[in-house]
Amino acid sequence: MKRFAGWLLSAPAILVVVLCLVVPVTLTIVATLGGPTGVFAPYLSFFASGFRRTVLWRTLQVSLLTTAIALVIGFLTAYVISRAPGWLKSILIIAAVFPLLTGVVVRSFAWLIILGKNGILNSALLSIGVISQPLTMLYTQGAVITAMVYLFVPLMILTLSGVLESIPDDLLQASASLGAKPSATFLQVILPLSVPGLIVGAVLVFTGSFTAYATPQLIGGESQMVMGTLMYQQAMVTFDWVSASTIATIMVVITITVVLLMTRVARRLNPLAV
Amino acid sequence: MTRSVHPALIVLAGLVFIFLVGPLIIVVGAALSNTTYLTFPPQGLSLRWFSKIFEIEAFRRTMVTSLQLALLSTALALLVGIPAAYALNRFRIQLPGWLSTLFVLPVLVPELVLGFSLLRSIAVDLDAPIFLSLVIGHTLLVLPYVVRVISASLASFDFSIEEAAISLGSPPLKSFFTIVLPNVRSGVIAAFILCFITSINDVSISIFLTGPGISTLPIQILAHVEQFFDPTIASVSVLLMALTVGVMAIVERTLGLTFLTK
Amino acid sequence: MTVALTIDNISAQYGQTKVLENLSLDIAPGELVSLLGASGCGKTTTLRLIAGFLQPTAGRILLGGADLTRLPAHARNIGLVFQNYALFPHLSVADNVGFGLKQRGITPDLRKKRVAAMLERVGLEAFGERLPAALSGGQKQRVALARALVIEPPLLMFDEPLSNLDAKLRVDMRVEIRQLQRANGTTSVYVTHDQEEAFSISDRVAIMHQGRIMQLDTPETLYRRPANAFVARFVGFENLIPMQVRSRAGSSVVAEGPGGVQLTLSQDSYGKIPDSFVLACRAEGLSVSTDTNIEGIPATLGLRTYLGRAYQYQAQTPAGPLIAHGALSSPIEPGTAARLVPEPEQCTILAPE
Repeated sequence: MKRFAGWLLSAPAILVVVLCLVVPVTLTIVATLGGPTGVFAPYLSFFASGFRRTVLWRTLQVSLLTTAIALVIGFLTAYVISRAPGWLKSILIIAAVFPLLTGVVVRSFAWLIILGKNGILNSALLSIGVISQPLTMLYTQGAVITAMVYLFVPLMILTLSGVLESIPDDLLQASASLGAKPSATFLQVILPLSVPGLIVGAVLVFTGSFTAYATPQLIGGESQMVMGTLMYQQAMVTFDWVSASTIATIMVVITITVVLLMTRVARRLNPLAV
Repeated sequence: MTRSVHPALIVLAGLVFIFLVGPLIIVVGAALSNTTYLTFPPQGLSLRWFSKIFEIEAFRRTMVTSLQLALLSTALALLVGIPAAYALNRFRIQLPGWLSTLFVLPVLVPELVLGFSLLRSIAVDLDAPIFLSLVIGHTLLVLPYVVRVISASLASFDFSIEEAAISLGSPPLKSFFTIVLPNVRSGVIAAFILCFITSINDVSISIFLTGPGISTLPIQILAHVEQFFDPTIASVSVLLMALTVGVMAIVERTLGLTFLTK
Repeated sequence: MTVALTIDNISAQYGQTKVLENLSLDIAPGELVSLLGASGCGKTTTLRLIAGFLQPTAGRILLGGADLTRLPAHARNIGLVFQNYALFPHLSVADNVGFGLKQRGITPDLRKKRVAAMLERVGLEAFGERLPAALSGGQKQRVALARALVIEPPLLMFDEPLSNLDAKLRVDMRVEIRQLQRANGTTSVYVTHDQEEAFSISDRVAIMHQGRIMQLDTPETLYRRPANAFVARFVGFENLIPMQVRSRAGSSVVAEGPGGVQLTLSQDSYGKIPDSFVLACRAEGLSVSTDTNIEGIPATLGLRTYLGRAYQYQAQTPAGPLIAHGALSSPIEPGTAARLVPEPEQCTILAPE
């Protein structure tokens, strides 16, 4: 009876997910297999193309760099937040949440205004005479990474704030009472206890930036094509759906592998969960 | 507790917050400009770009679509997600472990892939209408938030209270609405807000599912930016931000902001 | 090296709430002093002030004559044992114990030796490689103790260290703590809300209430001769009867209480009795007699409860409701008129409030 009730109540949600997600995505993946020239032909042709290899490599580079930068900035900021007095803490959290709740398009658009040829940064640099010609900042890898870091740092701060909050205060007091300076407490207690949270944050940022579309489209354009923008181009511009499906499958495989692997590692490394 | 933090770290955190908030302030400034091109700081202040938004038919139409879409998909996700979350918590032992994984699948699968797959299977193969495809896509997109947030509230709910109500003669369905639901009210509100914001800002799924005649606001903004570079977009952005501020004010009023860090 | 701890007129507040006002406390070298009181009495605040987790708004803290007040927590060299053990979950037992030595720049070789010796002292030599999560509550507490002791601090502090253990283990552990503390001769501060624990482990106990020390004395003195009504109630004097001396004859004093109750008390048993005083009696210090002709507090007996060693009675008297004990051999029915006779061994004299 209880078993039946449980299934009955979750049935609508199961149906929605299976029919509208599992089946369509499986069909997309299946579409890449068993072509006329061999089972893995679409993948062979993907990796045979120098351009596509470059795109994959660039996407990995951009997302790994974004992850690394967001990790460092996010952790140090979250640490400062965790040490702040109560009232300041809430203000800082709001300041971090607000960009997160603002859409990707709006936040990427902001960087168009900043980094554009007639953008703020160029006007500022020109007016103080550092440069005499406006710099090309948009459509560079640096610009894409900057905008992506901007996109994902709030997420990192929120994740890590939660982790730092969960470290009991008396562990830090115990550390101090045993003679550890604040820097030693940070390195020997707070950092190792944050490792699982750092992994979770890194996974979120990596998968998010690896599959991003709007930001690389606006800030990177054609010259900084990444997996997401390439997939859109294949699907909606050149209408090569097998190729788009191949890219989709590669994205699924990489993100799910990273997620499963790293959450397992994080769980194993989490001493607070035991 | 002596909360000593190295001054260099405080300076760094300050810079990070300038980095986080600065670009949004710049967008607001650009929206108030009275020039026909985007500049910051604005040469002169005016609100004309805000009125311009409403003159452009595409913005008016997509804004309405986005709002309808967000409300409808959020409602649908709550409708199927709340019973599922309840079942996952109430009948934990009777249900298999993979079920909760199934409900986070929409987060695991990249949105672009989901959007493209829905385009292939539902919009093209089944020839579904554009708006319906969008509703399906957005419902999937926000469903994990419903299940996760409601589950978190139910995790701290003592189900013996519900059993007490039933033992006192209240039928199970009535007990759910009069006893369980009021106790997870804050979870429902939080889920609603997260879903609404996620849906209204979505690009990666919508980009594949919008089509001739029907588009969402973020997609319209993307298209507009690629053609024109004028302060209209800044004004639309400010409107979206104002919507976010409004939502956050509601959150602050009803729940306090700390729930976001949980 | 045993040193004295002096707390000199410290005050502390959380936000606008004052939690301690002008508290002073002297602890002799090698002495173990407990801070005993209900939650919110200021005992934990005092400990946090000494540890350096909280800054006093006024006053000084001296350890062996050196002023600690402005020193950061990590520079104070105080061993601390926490209520929740506060073991580092990511470090092995040995690394937990060695943590303080590492901060002091002790070489790994020497560290290993001292950790091993300390683990042996607390009977955990076989557990060095385990993680704290794999230990029982009592073992965790031993690790916490070892971690605090191994740095050989001049001052040890315990923050309700046994409150998470079951009753039997609690008794064993407090003996163990006391033995280790005695052997090292380390000056110690022990915070607890458990009276039995405080009395059994301490040289002296400070009973705290609302940020003040109500009495600081040996357990024996506190138990037998509380200095005021608060301490008297705290250590179990349930009956407090205000009285006035009417006449004195030699060492004998006749005093009158509320409702005209008259009692003859001997200064040989009670010590000098002032003209106005409060007679404080434990329940077992008022014995019930059905002989209404003898001197005593006239009472009507109420509810009787069985305590194993005696019967306890709720009694209505002219001095208000009192609690008294009666012999097991003769249970008395509710409603019976009786006399309650103070037993000097279980009663004491307090100054009026």
